[in-house]
Parts: sequence; structure tokens; C-alpha cells
Amino acid sequence: MAEQFVGKSHPRFDAEKVTGKARFINDIKAPRMLYGKILYSKRPHARITHIDTSKAERLQGVRAVLTGFNTPDVRVGFLGDQIALKRDKVRQFRDEVAAVAAINEEIAEEALELIRVEYEDLPAVFDPIEAMKEGAPLIHEVDARGKPRRNNILPLPWKLEAGDVQKGRSESAFVVKDTFRTTWVHQVCMGTSGCIAEFDVNNNLQFISVTNVPFGGKDRLDMFLRNLGIRGSTRILTPYVGGSFGSKLDTDIYEFIAVLLAWKTKCPVKILFDRLEEFTASPPRQPIIGTVEQGCDKDGRLTFRVVEMILDNGAYTSWGATTPSVMMVPISTLYRVPNISFRATCVYTNNIYAQAMRGYGNPQATYVVEQSMDQLAVEAGIDPIEFRLINANEPNETSPMGLKITTCPMKECLEEVKTRLDWKKKQGKHDGHGVGVACFLHVGGGARVYRSDAQGLILKVDDEGKVTAITGGTDQGQGSETIIRQMVAEATGFRPQDVNIFQGDTEICPWDVGTHASRHAFMVGHAILMAGAQVRAKLLAMASTWMGQLISRNLQKKARQDPDFKIPDVDLSLLSNPENLDISNGQIFLKSDPDNKLLRLPVAQIVRSAHMVGTGRGEMIVAEAFYDPPNEMLNAEGKGNLSCCYTFGAHGVEVQVDQETGQVTILNYVAAHDVGRAINPMLVKGQIYGATIMGAGYGLTEEMQVNAGRVMNPNLLDYKLLTAKDKIPIDPVIVEPIEPSGPFGLKGIGEPACVPAAPAIANAVADAIGVRIKDLPLSPEKVLAAIKGKGR
Amino acid sequence: MRSYEYLKPTSLKEALELLGRYGEKAKLVAGGTDLMVQWKKKIISPEYVISLRNVPELSFVTYESDLKIGSATTHRTLELSPIIREHFPILLDAVSNLGSVQVRNSATIGGNICNAAPSADTAPPLLALDAVAHIAGPQGERTMPIAEFFKGPSRTALASGEIVTHFSIPRPSPNTGMAYWKHTRRKAMDLPILGVAVLLSFGQDGKTCAKARISLGVAAPTPMRARKAEAYLEGKEVDRGALDEAGKIAAGEASPRTTIRGSQWYREEMIRVLVRRTGLMCIERAKGAAHG
Amino acid sequence: MRRTIRFTVNGDPVEVEVQPHWPLLRVLRDELELTGAKMGCGEGECGACTVLVDGKPINSCIYPVLEAEGKQVLTIEGLVSSENELHPIQQAFLDKAGVQCGFCTPGMIMSAKALLDMNPNPTEDEVRHALAGNFCRCTGYVQIVESVRHAAELLLKNAKQTGAGE
Repeated sequence: MAEQFVGKSHPRFDAEKVTGKARFINDIKAPRMLYGKILYSKRPHARITHIDTSKAERLQGVRAVLTGFNTPDVRVGFLGDQIALKRDKVRQFRDEVAAVAAINEEIAEEALELIRVEYEDLPAVFDPIEAMKEGAPLIHEVDARGKPRRNNILPLPWKLEAGDVQKGRSESAFVVKDTFRTTWVHQVCMGTSGCIAEFDVNNNLQFISVTNVPFGGKDRLDMFLRNLGIRGSTRILTPYVGGSFGSKLDTDIYEFIAVLLAWKTKCPVKILFDRLEEFTASPPRQPIIGTVEQGCDKDGRLTFRVVEMILDNGAYTSWGATTPSVMMVPISTLYRVPNISFRATCVYTNNIYAQAMRGYGNPQATYVVEQSMDQLAVEAGIDPIEFRLINANEPNETSPMGLKITTCPMKECLEEVKTRLDWKKKQGKHDGHGVGVACFLHVGGGARVYRSDAQGLILKVDDEGKVTAITGGTDQGQGSETIIRQMVAEATGFRPQDVNIFQGDTEICPWDVGTHASRHAFMVGHAILMAGAQVRAKLLAMASTWMGQLISRNLQKKARQDPDFKIPDVDLSLLSNPENLDISNGQIFLKSDPDNKLLRLPVAQIVRSAHMVGTGRGEMIVAEAFYDPPNEMLNAEGKGNLSCCYTFGAHGVEVQVDQETGQVTILNYVAAHDVGRAINPMLVKGQIYGATIMGAGYGLTEEMQVNAGRVMNPNLLDYKLLTAKDKIPIDPVIVEPIEPSGPFGLKGIGEPACVPAAPAIANAVADAIGVRIKDLPLSPEKVLAAIKGKGR
Repeated sequence: MRSYEYLKPTSLKEALELLGRYGEKAKLVAGGTDLMVQWKKKIISPEYVISLRNVPELSFVTYESDLKIGSATTHRTLELSPIIREHFPILLDAVSNLGSVQVRNSATIGGNICNAAPSADTAPPLLALDAVAHIAGPQGERTMPIAEFFKGPSRTALASGEIVTHFSIPRPSPNTGMAYWKHTRRKAMDLPILGVAVLLSFGQDGKTCAKARISLGVAAPTPMRARKAEAYLEGKEVDRGALDEAGKIAAGEASPRTTIRGSQWYREEMIRVLVRRTGLMCIERAKGAAHG
Repeated sequence: MRRTIRFTVNGDPVEVEVQPHWPLLRVLRDELELTGAKMGCGEGECGACTVLVDGKPINSCIYPVLEAEGKQVLTIEGLVSSENELHPIQQAFLDKAGVQCGFCTPGMIMSAKALLDMNPNPTEDEVRHALAGNFCRCTGYVQIVESVRHAAELLLKNAKQTGAGE
């Protein structure tokens, strides 16, 4: 059946956003609301010897001053390695030392200035390699259970072994080994972080949150309440969210602090970060030191790959420490490699701690692997694209990690890059002009990181002929408000403009794992197909009860009003069999006579009749679905089919390097992506453009300059996001292999384009200047230094 | 509660009176783009803020015997000014890539100069153009070559109670090329890693350099002129080789620092490269000007 | 130190009591409850707070409110017609996906409005130059530029139709 709405570049349903009516956390106020502010540490590692809050408490307008000394000792975070307000010592500059709630922001800020904290400095360590050494200062003396810790290495021994690396090595004709580094980069959502916490009289917490994991956030806050001894539960409400890119996966410390302040004051408390806090107190993507060794045989076939990653975890643990689970995906499966060894070590330091960011470890891992691929291609004397084609992933294969590849147009994507960049002519000149390529794969059909990877959905049809989709997902800009409408319309027979969406309320919305891992379209799409089929079936059954009599009544009425009208000779009994009926554009009609206006009725009329039929006989149309995909959690060996399908692609970049200034100009950029099926090609391109520019920033301009634990550039002047003037001519190529496991054939596309950009640019720069720079970003200074140091 | 009184004089006379009355307690602002940020961070805490936005006699561009620019003229006004576009491309280079349109609609050339930041984009062009600052104060009016105006980072030659009213810039001789190059990490919303302004006037033959001006931003504690490099070029036939040498000389005269925005070696290297390149742009523009 | 000032917002005269150190954005958002303009940085770097004062785009987060006295301020809320119809620029941002998370959108649209008022048919480079002070983290700007150029087409078409009707 030809699809009517899916596959079309439908305009966005976002009128609220373009009119300024969309309410972000910044725009929400509650009666009696107080403003919370946080005092951060002035030291990277120190014992807190004394906190004097007396002056702050006496300030007019202050309603609460909290520290670790007057709040319960409740551990939070993935490893439970911190408390919201620090008591014993501080371990990083962003450590929360005290918090204030006041009647306005100015008073809260003034109160912070009145708090006196005395510290006793401790030796600090900022380099993860130093931090691993014996005798390094211990960041945490004990773990969450109070057991003494002997070193700074996290108890998360990420490891994956497959095949026989020794054997692979012995079969290799060429082997390369090198070490690469990446630095901190920040999600830099345009909307800064914030929340509003409020308790009702039954001690239930209403929490307005920018999370994209409402139910996970609810679990964490419910546990926090339990541990505080508060007998209530949490309702999470999400407003419009000004971007996430991973930053809104975990419940952050300021959120726990808002709860503490709200509990103390029994008033709504809002905490809203300013830009400085956003840069210094919200966790970015962590730096890695990645050593990769891999080999190939004389024909260029990969024989083995060994990768060791050291992650600077910072002082505490959030989802940054779990990104190696996704690093495994490209390390084991980007190209066909039979023998794999991967180890990742997360190390505590006195630096800022890390979170997830778009790609979840994949950008770092792909950067490392794809640099090494180019080095190995050179060693083997094979053109980098040909080398990748020799080793490209193929459809219907299982990788050493246990990833079951379904559709896989990696070769097509590489060919697109080759043709569109005119690769053969431009590669290998080292004259300041160069081309580079990097491929990627990423989860495209969810990622089972919890026992469930499910999404719940309720569809409800009202007697105005509208369908409401009540989902557990969230939107942070990716466009689900548009594609959900397209898919619901397609699945139910309504029009996209007849679909309403309700989301972001844990009290009402059905359960969902969270809008992460590029999974939302995939999961909600399946749930829509399941619930949509029920809606259709119920509506057609309902119509078969009502249509005959409604149409007969209509015809008689018409005949009464118009003496010239003759009731046509139609067999109304056909209408009483649901199998004879169909729905389209919100109208129900006879399949055998679809154009007959007399035999067609709007859904609204039928549903209204069914509602109004009288005691005991009425009906309504509500359908529900809970889609939990057939993917697998990783087993103890780190193996399993994490996702229902994987998305592939290749980015090709042509650069001009100014050999006197080190500046890199991107002349051409081909972003070839496997998307399964584009539900909305315009929005798919939007994801490719946005993520590519973010990835290009990672490659060229973005870095948090962290000096002895302190962020030196916590503002938009010195953290170099690309501007509209920094044009990169992106040519997005959408390859649509129609994924059998995906709803309507789709694969997830939220993160992927962020993955290969930096390595593709780095490879192009290496091709242009004939020397490889082994850390990001490729600043003009580094590039020029590399050019000047070339001969040495 | 911490606040200040915000005063909006509508004439220069009134502004001078207010400045005289409140002295050290007052902060003079033109566009005021830094005011709120610095006040919030408590870098400044004036009791009185005197805004020059509403003094019409400080906001103008005229070009008769010389170019005159009122100190409270916004960068955006200069960017859109046909006079600047046609006759002073070196200023257009500077004002069209300073901050954003929004910033340029507030920020003024006088503010940019009087903040005396080493990175001020309009400073190297004004130095290259031999601009003169016209200053009004309690003692009456005085003038000062812009080259004498900068005394250190955020320090100027202004005495207390004085206001820069305008800058005058002599009409360049025919056969002059001028350009400003702002070297940045990204193409907008940036401060220069290095700013280079070059002005070259050629004699009748179109080759011999009659006058050379080379000025640098972020190369020293204040915007500076590279006088030795200028002297080297004057009287010579300027070509790539001569400009190369001038770049080396200029790098020797400068004293850049290492900051989070760039390191010393890189800035020195860029002086060498960008003096030459900006000089070559001047040669091209001089040809264009001659033909035009 | 409070002072009462008058100015016009979206065509309506307003009278507000303000503190001299307040930026215009604070008055728009907190006193007048026009929350379309956003605080993204408070330092004039991100452009999310862009509004037009006497037709010119400014960063309202660093614009002294006392300078707005007697002036015409236009915010994103002022673009929708009295019949609740979207302005062509707003429509173009939906048609061409110039909006994703929406946080930068009000400021972006106001910058676009200022550009198109002055230059009804801008080139891509001119659009990029005019929007350089509005950061967007979602779109990579491509579809924003397309939206602005599409808006220019819609506006020119509207102008022709109005012209033809006269």
C-alpha cells in the first residue's frame, strides 16, 4: 500500500516555538516560588574544615541555607559516590558546598556571598595516568558502602575479548599501533539546565524537569525521597527542553538540591543555571587516551584489533563511565575484524566529571579506530577508501561482539563519498589540499542497556475526530512532534493535523525507558503500529454497528429536505461488515465504493454516536501498546545483540589547509547515511546537518580548556561553537535500505552524524599536510606546529 | 540593594557637567555592551552611569577635508556607511566583523577605543590611518594622535572628566591601499588571535612606497604600531619579499603573550605571515583604487 | 532608585517601574511576561534574547532598559497577526525546519526580520552574516538559512500580491 504521510517532508508542527509561546523551564513560575542557588567549591581537592552560614541565614528574604552538615547523608549517582551537598571534602571545583533558597535570585546570590567556607588543601591529581599510579592522592578513600579504596580506578572493568588476537597478529602482514587523545567537549544546550521542585501536603514531589528520561528520573528521585525518609512519590513533568545531546540523561546534583530546598521550605523551589554554571557545573563528554593496535594481511584484510582506553572520569561517576559499553560497538564491529581485544579503564581525578554526549563514547572510539585505519592503509599501500571497502561490513552478518547486522549499505555510502568528492584525483597529494573519510556504525534500533528497552503508548480517539497519542517519550528538538503525527496518521487512517500529542507527565503517560540512544522514532514507531492497528480495528467494528443506520437516517433527511433527491439504491447491509470498511483522512468508507460521498462518514460522527448510545451500551476508542524490542543486554563478556539493527554511514571531507597559519577550511563535505527509511526526509537532513556541525566542532574548534581542574573558558566567547558564518558545505546523502526490523523500515538517526565527523576531518588534514595530529581539536596552532615539525 | 543611577545627558555640555560633578563615582558608557556584564561580575560598581547614547553631536560620520567619526557612532552605522564602504575599507574590515549585528548596533567606536583592550578591532585601523582623537574636558578641548592614546591594558591618556568626542582621519593620498586582517578561530563572534592593519601609499610610479603603516592588535599590552617595519618599507618598491621582511621586523617589535586564545610563538608567527598577506591585499586594493 | 518609564512593546504603550541596572530582557520577561525572548547567556554572546528596538536588532540581555524609554520594541510575540496568523518568517521556519529545540528560535527570527526589513532578497552569505550572532546547537544553521530565504520569497510574493491588488 502506498504510504500517504510517511516518507514526506511534512512541515514541523512547532507553531508554539516560532511564536515564543513554548514554555521552557526558564519561563515557568509557580506561586510562592523560591529561587535556589548553589555555592561551589573554591578548591579542586580539599577537606572542608568549617562552614559558617549564619550571615546568609540572617539575610532578609532567605528561606533556607543548606550544607552537607544540616542535610541527611544520602548518596546519589550511578555508583553512589557522592552526596548532594559535600561534607567531608571537595574533590573538584564544581563540588556543591552549600545551597540557598530565597524570594528572588538577587537575594539568593547575595546570600551565597555571605557563606564562609574554610578548606584544608589536599594534594590533587588531574592527569588520569598520574592518578592510576601507586601513591597518587586518593580521590575517594572509601566506596559507597564504606569499604576502603586502594586506588583511583573505578570498579567498572570494561572488557571485550573475541577470537584470538595472538593468532591474528601472527597472520598479519602489516601492523600499526598508536595513541590518540581527545579532550572535554560540552553539550552546550542553548537552554541552560533547570528544574522546579514542589511538595504537596501528602509529601508527594512534583518535579518539573528538563530530563529526557522521565521514568528513570522518577526512579532516582523516588529512591532519594525514600532515603531521606520522606513517604511520598515523584511526579515528573517535562516542559519544552532547549536541547539535550546527552546532558539530560542523568539526574544531576542540582536537581537533588532543589528537592532538599523544597522539602526544607515546603515551597516550590526553582534552580536555573546561568551560562557559567552550565559550563562549569554540568558534566561534559570526557577525554580519553586511546591506544589502538591493528593489523591486516597482505591483501588488506583486517586480522586483529586491540584497543585500550583510559577515560578521565573526573571526581564522581555519571553515565560518562558507562560509555565504554557503546565504544565496544565500533571497536568490535566497525569493519570486519575477526579478533578483538578491548579494555577500558575509568579513572577518578580532581577534574570535572563526565556525562553522556551525542554518540555516547562512539565519537571517541571511532576517532581512534578511523585514524588507525588510515595509518594501516598507508602501511599496506592501499587507498584509504579501497581499504575500507575491502573490510566493509556486510548485511546479515554477526560481528565478534554478537551484533547481528541486518541491512548495511556501508559500501554504498563509501562509493558515494568516493564519487562525490572525486576522491581518486584528490587523495594522497600532501600539498595542503586533502581528502579524508571515516565510516561509522551506531545502534539504530534501540540499545538494551536496562532489562527493558520498551516504550508505552496510548492512542485515544475523541468525538471531534482527533487522535491523541499519549507517549512516555520526550522531545528535545529532534522533531518527534512531527514524525509521531505522520506515523499515527499513517497507522490509523487520520490526517497528521488530526493527531495531538501528550507527553512529559509520569502520572499520565505510559512507561518508557527514555529518549536516548537514537531510539525514540524506532520504539514509538513500533508502538504506533501496534496501537494504530487496534484503533483501526475498533473503529471499523464500531462503524459497522453505526454506519448503516446513520447513513440511512442521513439519506431520509436529505430526501425530506430536497423533493428532487431520490434515495439511491444501495446495499446498506454491506456497511455492517467491518471487513468491507476502511479509514482514510479521518473518514470511514466502503472499500468497494471509496468515492461514494453518500456512503462515507467522518469518524467523529461514529464515535459520538457510540458515546451517546445510552446506559451500559456506550463505547470509546482507546488502544495501548507496550513495545519491547527483541534486542539483548550485553552478557558478562560484553557480548550480545545490543540493538535490533545498526545504522551505517561514511563521511568524506575535502579540506584546504593554510600551510602558513594552520587554518583548516572545509571545501566539501559528503555525509552519506543509512537511515533505513526516512519518515520525514527534511527532518532526517536536519539531524544530519546539526550533528555533523557538532562533530566538526569536535574536530576543529571545540574544547573545554581545563587547567588544574578549572574550566578556563566557561563562556560562549571562548568555547568556540561554530557560528552561522562558519559554513561547511554539507551534502547529505540519504541511503534507504528499508530496515525489516524497523517500523515503516526506519532506523534511528539522532546521534550518528556526530560520530564520524572529527575522524574524517582529521584524516583529511593528515592527507593534506602529510603528517598526523593525534589529539583533538585540530586548532590552527596544532596544525601549524605539525607542519613545522614535519621533518623532525 | 546594589544599583546605580543611570544618567542620559542629551548634549556634550551636559555630559561633561555630569562627569565633572560625579568624578570617580561615575562610569561613562557609550553602547554599554560591557556595562551589564562587568557590573554583574562586580568588576565595576559605579554609583552613576553616564550614557552617551543620547548625545547626537557624538554620533556622526562626515567626509570633507578629512573623515570625522563621532565617538558614539555605532559599529553598525559605520558598517552601513557609504563613506566607509567606499573610501575606508580598512575600517569596514574591522567594524563588519566585530561581534554580531546586535552588538554592533550598540557598541561604538569610541567605546572600543576607550576600553583600550589589546584586542580592540578598531584600534589597528585607526593607528594605521593616523587618526587623531578629539577630547573635550573641563580644561576645554585638546587633540591627541591615536598612537599616544593607549597607555596600557584598559588604560588611556584620558584625564578625569574628559570625553573623546570624535576621531579625525586625514584623507589618504591617491594610490593608497589599506586593509585590516582579523585572525580568528571562527568566522564571527570572536576576538582576534591577532589583528593586523596595513596601509600603503604609493608614489606617482605606483610602486615606490611613500608611506607605510603597520599596526597590530593583541601583539603587545596595547594596540601598537610596528614603526621599524614601516620605516623599512618606506621608500622601497614594495613586493612580496619586502613585505616578508617587514613581517619579520614587525614580529621582532611585538611582544605578544600566551593566553587561552593563542600562544606567544603562534602569534609571533602570525605577525610574520599576516603582515605580508595584509600588505599584499593593500597592493591589490591600491590598484583597484587607482583604477576606480 | 526605582523609576517609571514608558515605551511601546509590539505596538502597545507600556509603563513600567524599573531598576536602572535592569536589562530590557528582564523587564520584557519578568515585568511584562513576554517570555518569548530567552536568556541564553546574559552576556550578549548567544543572541537568544534578540529583540528589535526602533527596528534594529539588539541583545536585550545587556541593553539598559532605560535606553528603551520612548522607543518602539518589537518581540517575537509581536509578529503574529491580530487574526492569529503566523508571520511569513515564522511559517517559513516551520516549512523548512529552521526550528529544532526552539530555544534560539525567537531570537533567530527577530534577527531574520531585521535583515529582511533592510534587504528583502538576501544572498546566503548575507543571511549567514546577519545571523552570526545567534547561536544554534541543533540545526547546524543550514535549514535556518533555507528558512530565511524561503521567508524572503514568501514576503516578496505577498508584497507583489498586495501591490497588484492596489
